[in-house]
Amino acid sequence: MSIALDSKVQRDASVAFRRLAEGEGGVLLQLETGQYHGINEVGCLIWELLDGERTVDEVTTGVRERVEDPPDDLSDIVVAFLESLRERNLVA
Amino acid sequence: MQGSCYGFQPVSDLSFEYLRGGTGEPFAVAELEGEADEPEGELVVEWTPIPNRRIWARLYAEGPRYRLWVEGHGTFEVDPQAPSVGLPSAAAGLVRREERLWGVPTMLCFLARGDVPLHAAAVDVGGEAVLLAAPGYHGKTTLAAGFDAAGYRVLAEDVACIRFAPEPHVVPGPALLRVRRDVAESFDLPGARAVAESDNRVHFSLDPARRGDSTPVPLQAVVLLRKGEDGIALERVPAADTLRDLWLLSFRLPTLADRERCFGGIARLAATVRISNLVRPLRLDELPRVIERIVADA
Repeated sequence: MSIALDSKVQRDASVAFRRLAEGEGGVLLQLETGQYHGINEVGCLIWELLDGERTVDEVTTGVRERVEDPPDDLSDIVVAFLESLRERNLVA
Repeated sequence: MQGSCYGFQPVSDLSFEYLRGGTGEPFAVAELEGEADEPEGELVVEWTPIPNRRIWARLYAEGPRYRLWVEGHGTFEVDPQAPSVGLPSAAAGLVRREERLWGVPTMLCFLARGDVPLHAAAVDVGGEAVLLAAPGYHGKTTLAAGFDAAGYRVLAEDVACIRFAPEPHVVPGPALLRVRRDVAESFDLPGARAVAESDNRVHFSLDPARRGDSTPVPLQAVVLLRKGEDGIALERVPAADTLRDLWLLSFRLPTLADRERCFGGIARLAATVRISNLVRPLRLDELPRVIERIVADA
């Protein structure tokens, strides 16, 4: 089932996040399994905006305000990214 | 007693073979009286002998302290907060016991002070450190020996201690190299003295005149050692692609808190230091060219 724009997505508590050098994105580590996932700059922005209080729509707005030339389908990109995180049990 | 290793200065009646000069944080080291009791705490890590690992050891946690049992040596008692290490009797020899001391027991102590251990050798190139990182049997000690033979200071042979102060630095470890017998027979380590032998390795105590002290050395590069067939290639690797290797080369206890600590350390390393893959043939006659390539990139 696709993530709804008015839903609130929560980071999984057992996931650690670190940014890498500027322009190199960041890394998510599932602390219990040791699995890690590289994410790009936009992914980092999305992750940092996931505070459990913002809706997906509000996260999308936050990303739009922070990037130059946001694509028209940014909302779809954010939803697809969150769905990939959910498949990997990195968000709930 | 003057002398230091990994930034620690032993406070001890014992004598040591592998210390560097200078001073450091007081570090109590004493031989335990009698046989240590069987460890009763929680078994945290067990290292079993496999083709790429020669030793059998078990680490137990007893509250904030640890007991490390090592086959052929006995039990080391570690208090990382003190910091202090109680040694078993020197059944395997004084030098071999000291080598074990500067392994996991000391690593637990420098972990407690916030430093990050990495399975890597380290050399001083022009006042900056280069880590030579690889799991066992990938030639890092041979490469470190090559650097020593070429006149460079070896800062670590097997475990590098990394400190963020706030930029990453290497805190020099024991002044030793345990090289394969064929390597020991192939080239001269100036000023070094053979002090022990084991399996097919000769254990060298490095030239006292070139050890320096434990002052942290700024870390400029990490070289991930890869085996190749022909030619030498040194290529920069994007940070995100290095984390899997750094994770495998790091030491961490099996707790969420320690995994997060370790992750933070290696991510910070990847974000701040140049990391490269070095592909080279594992032939002694290629060592000088490999060293030249690493130095040229430094």
